[in-house]
Amino acid sequence: MSQYLLRRFGRAVIALWGVSTIVFIVMRLSGDPAVLLLPQEASREDVLRLRQDLGLDDPLLVQYGRFLGHAVTGNFGESLRHKEPAMHLVCDHLWATLELALAAFCIAALVAVPIGILAAVRANRVYDHLVMSLALIGQSAPTFWIGIMLILGFGLGLHWFPIGGRGTLRHLVMPALTLGAFAMASIARLTRSAMLDVIRLDYITTARSKGLSERRIIWRHAFKNAAIPVVTIMGLQFGTLLGGAVVTETVFSWPGIGRLAIQGIYNRDYPIVQAAVFVAAAFFVGINFLVDLLYTFLDPRIRYE
Amino acid sequence: MHWSRTSRWVRPGTWFGTFLLVCSLTGWAVARDLTIGQGTDVSHLDPHYSTSASDVNVFFNLYDNLVLRDEQLNLTPGLATAWKLIDDRTWQFKLRQGVVFHNGDAFTADDVKFSLERAIAENPRTSVYAALNTIERVEILDPLTVNLVTKHPDPLLPTRLSYYGGMILPRQYFEKVGMEGFRKEPVGTGPIKFVEWKKNERLVFEANKRYWRPALPYDKVIYKPYPETAARIAALLAGEVDFITAVPPDQVEVIDKSGSAKVEGALYAGFFSYTFNVKVPPLDNKRVRQAIHYAIDRQAIVKKLWRGRGVVPNDAYPNVDKIGYDPKKPPFEYNPKKAKDLLAQAGYKGEEIKIESAIGYLANDKQLTETIAAMLQEVGMNAKVQLLEYSVRAQKLRQKALEGLLLGDPTSTLLDPDGMFWRLMQPGGLYDYWRHPEWDRLMGEARVLQDPQKRDANYKKAAEIFLDEVPVLIVLQPEKTFALKKDLQWKARSDEIVVVYDIRPAK
Repeated sequence: MSQYLLRRFGRAVIALWGVSTIVFIVMRLSGDPAVLLLPQEASREDVLRLRQDLGLDDPLLVQYGRFLGHAVTGNFGESLRHKEPAMHLVCDHLWATLELALAAFCIAALVAVPIGILAAVRANRVYDHLVMSLALIGQSAPTFWIGIMLILGFGLGLHWFPIGGRGTLRHLVMPALTLGAFAMASIARLTRSAMLDVIRLDYITTARSKGLSERRIIWRHAFKNAAIPVVTIMGLQFGTLLGGAVVTETVFSWPGIGRLAIQGIYNRDYPIVQAAVFVAAAFFVGINFLVDLLYTFLDPRIRYE
Repeated sequence: MHWSRTSRWVRPGTWFGTFLLVCSLTGWAVARDLTIGQGTDVSHLDPHYSTSASDVNVFFNLYDNLVLRDEQLNLTPGLATAWKLIDDRTWQFKLRQGVVFHNGDAFTADDVKFSLERAIAENPRTSVYAALNTIERVEILDPLTVNLVTKHPDPLLPTRLSYYGGMILPRQYFEKVGMEGFRKEPVGTGPIKFVEWKKNERLVFEANKRYWRPALPYDKVIYKPYPETAARIAALLAGEVDFITAVPPDQVEVIDKSGSAKVEGALYAGFFSYTFNVKVPPLDNKRVRQAIHYAIDRQAIVKKLWRGRGVVPNDAYPNVDKIGYDPKKPPFEYNPKKAKDLLAQAGYKGEEIKIESAIGYLANDKQLTETIAAMLQEVGMNAKVQLLEYSVRAQKLRQKALEGLLLGDPTSTLLDPDGMFWRLMQPGGLYDYWRHPEWDRLMGEARVLQDPQKRDANYKKAAEIFLDEVPVLIVLQPEKTFALKKDLQWKARSDEIVVVYDIRPAK
């Protein structure tokens, strides 16, 4: 087990290094921040001087070495636009994104799993068709559209929830629903199909013939076995929720890491983008790791030797 | 027992009710907050290191300049009460007595010298360096008098000081806390005082009760970013914010019809125009550029794309310029026949003409560019649209790599021709493609003349050359629109700055 953990950790470090390097290269290929930082009147000399001040005129390898050297200590440099340590800004915004992603995840999981199970139990009946059609809409409607519709309906029309910003629980409801919609639909669909696979197996029939209650059969016997793909998708979805909150954060003016990263991309604020991507990737890798560990709990046959 | 218990509650209630009544009758009502929704969050609060619109909008309220602009953009006294020209290169400013910074420090000539010298510092250069670098030195005569000596005669110095970069910072406080400390807790003399800032969430100020003018009628002034236009408008209509910036023309009707909010607009102090790379054939041919000028139905563009919220220009300068602009000229003509004739004379053989534009950088930028291309195709030109990402556009401009025409929104920053086309088109400027010795001479000379009449004459002559040569395709002067709650009053300004001091509860 410890060897497995070590190997996994090694792979995680390589993945993070790879992601950081790709972001480093792509950002440098995509444009010059000095041009965007200075006003229109600035002369060519001003641009050159700023590039020099920012260390952008050094050879790419030198810049990369400097970046890596600092990155291992958690220092991603100072934001070019905000003039503050990039990691500090990213951590500031990380909590907002975590809060949103967790809320979206909880809503998605708490709603989707029972719905999916119920749809499997009542397969091919009206309830099943209705829920699966709704799930299809949830999966195919653009996040942006769902967000605007919620704003117009529950924010502007009914005045139930505030339209933008963060602070109270009420601020969280609409963004979490918007962000969670896609995950909710995917988890519900997957739960249904995983449950359908399991329900047809012999051991369920055995359980029924033993006279166990239907509730006990579904939850204790069927769902626990159907849970592996569901947990996998939930883990992946949580990672996606963290990284994919950009649109939701923009629509609801949510002060999260996605919006910070997007602003960073527009302004070619390298340090911000690098720090934000690194943190998001670290979370993604971490969650996948946790999911792997969770398998052993769910299915004792899985052992990491 | 029963009675006494009631009276215990009734009495304070009555007192409170009476208090509220008296408050409202005397106009001494509990002050409200003012919340402003902008498209982006502020990047930082250091006025010498940003010229972006959402930052500048806050700088102009947190700090004061020596010279301010009123709603009609006329210069009015700010931290300076009077100014005059002593000799060709020296402007003398008398400073306002009794002004204090938010931290209690008194405002003196020392702060003026410190701030302006910081703005024009050579290494590292500030973002406002180019706007103020005509200043050679600042001389303190006494605590309330300074002389600003310029490198060459500069008739526009007071105007320059009323715009970005001209904000005055407290020297003592700045030196005590350093740049980092200052950025965390900025201090100015303006009508609003810094309280707290949660990045991308809210930026909170309170009314400066010791302001040198009567204090604002608000408790707090809060800036919130709403990057999504639909959400920004919904926030206004739902009463979550009191004021929003950057309302696109097609949303004006929605707001006007809401009953709770209204739109205020002012003609933009500049143009939406396309700069030609006159070095690329066939655009190197003056007649081809003239043909393009006549091929554009500007009236239709203003009416359809801007819903009538804009004007067709009539001169080389926008109608807000205080000098050089001639209101008597007729609006630019739409004449497709003349365009075709000019193309024939130019021997145009269907060479490709590239029209470049960023997407989402300016209101309607994509639609406008596609419309322009269609209008050029209408007169037989082979026009192709090329859409760019904003930073790619910035890079292309900087590298002088325009492939044909590029959409931009040159601003007349000084409400004077010097602050627009000369700033951008002078040798080495961002739009330096076209050179004309006589235009260069007239523009270059006018900027150092102290006699307004002579300057005006120079700019009028330069305009003739410009309009004949068409180095820039001027398309329209759009209205810039904002929206606010109906119970507030405010007039939009052509320089697009939202001066909180001018937003008042409606009577």
